[in-house]
Amino acid sequence: MPSLTVNNLTKTFKIGALKRQGVLANLISLISGRETKKVFTALKNISFQTSAGEFLGLIGDNGAGKSTLLRCLAGIYPADSGEIKTFGPVVSLIELNDGFKSRLSAKDNLFLCGALLGLTKKEIKERLDEIINFAELQNFVDTKIYQFSGGMVERLAFSLAIFAQPKILLLDELFNAVDLSFQAKALAKLKTMVQSGITIILASHDLETIKTCCDKIIWLKAGTIFKIGQPKEIIEPYQAQK
Amino acid sequence: MNFIFIRLNNLKKFLALSLALAKAEFKLRNEGSYLGIFWYLLNPILTFSLLLLIFSKQLGSEITDYPLYLLTGIVTFNLFSQITTQATKVIKTNRWLIKSVKFPPESLVSGVTLTGLFSHLFEVFLLFILAMAFQNNLTGFIFYPFLLLLFCIFIYGLSLILAALSVHFADLENIWIFFSRLVWFATPIFYTIDHQTILFKLNLFNPLYYFITLFRQVIIYNQIPASFLAAGAISYTLISLVIGQIIFNRLKPKFAEKI
Repeated sequence: MPSLTVNNLTKTFKIGALKRQGVLANLISLISGRETKKVFTALKNISFQTSAGEFLGLIGDNGAGKSTLLRCLAGIYPADSGEIKTFGPVVSLIELNDGFKSRLSAKDNLFLCGALLGLTKKEIKERLDEIINFAELQNFVDTKIYQFSGGMVERLAFSLAIFAQPKILLLDELFNAVDLSFQAKALAKLKTMVQSGITIILASHDLETIKTCCDKIIWLKAGTIFKIGQPKEIIEPYQAQK
Repeated sequence: MNFIFIRLNNLKKFLALSLALAKAEFKLRNEGSYLGIFWYLLNPILTFSLLLLIFSKQLGSEITDYPLYLLTGIVTFNLFSQITTQATKVIKTNRWLIKSVKFPPESLVSGVTLTGLFSHLFEVFLLFILAMAFQNNLTGFIFYPFLLLLFCIFIYGLSLILAALSVHFADLENIWIFFSRLVWFATPIFYTIDHQTILFKLNLFNPLYYFITLFRQVIIYNQIPASFLAAGAISYTLISLVIGQIIFNRLKPKFAEKI
């Protein structure tokens, strides 16, 4: 059963003005939709499909289009052309830790970001202990985020995302500052989620994690799908070209 | 029937999200403050005291219940100024949320509106105390929530326009602060205007004039609102909401790319 289908997805960005223009001209081009800027194609004719309970990896060099693809799948960026169909709620963990309000406590941030992810206050209350316990932050519930280490913030964001009960979970570069024991626990949790029918799409440079977790990998190169296949078919050639 | 149920459910979720954002913002504003809500009262009290001291003998001498007239103008303008100024920053200050999670960005604007409303309620309390001190008839306050709701919808619509345009025009924040100052002087907040003057004619294009005069008629003078004032306030509210929705809906898909 498909959980996500992407057909001929193309995404461009307007970067850098071709010529300087005044405020009025800027306003007119903004309202009319005619922009006088250079066009950069970040994704070009991307097509693929995922099934329920599939763990898909996205790899590629910097600027290949991994984060842009995730943001398009999450609905954060609108597609220029093509079609994205999702079957079930999508939760994205794309720099969510940067979205936390640093002067608010962990608990207040969970209520705020939970609401942004579409959870009701009742649902957040019911899951609060689970989220905090999974993140191993029982003693820091009322501590303000600016007093957290980078790893603690990442743990909190990850825990919130997995307990938001998505059907499709989008992850961008899972962890940067989390210790190895939590990483192992988090990966085990992701595998359990996949077994229960949740689709996970992970963009990462950590090839070891991609290799051990993913059923399928998409290798993005300059905004296009260069290769798609099983980990053993993709990882080795990817490493060889580096 | 199912369609209506879905729309109502979405509206409920939207209001819950707006409330969560407003609560977070309110907590952030008071974070680390020893005097807390006292600061919400300090600004109107100081402005009121200063203007009363300077103008009560000249501009206020011919105005009935001038202290109440003045404070009503100040708290109404404060609500307008506070929400619209925040609206010019709200998308940029929440850039990481917009780039991380898909949610209706209108909720950021409604959150700012609700935050402004929270702090406004403290100022209304001040107005209520002053009205009691002046042994004013307080029955007019019963109608205050309805007028306030209309005023908040007007401000929300205008804030949608400001929030959406601020993503594309960095200067808007400073321009709006300057423009607000002009509106402060152009609106009869601490003075009154005769119907034959140019200033009155200009104020017919100033939505704040309608709202402030309505608030005064209802709260201080216990009058039934003049029909032209009510019609003006309703018209400006509808115009602001419709144009705000159109501009915001047109520009919001690109927010995550532009910030």
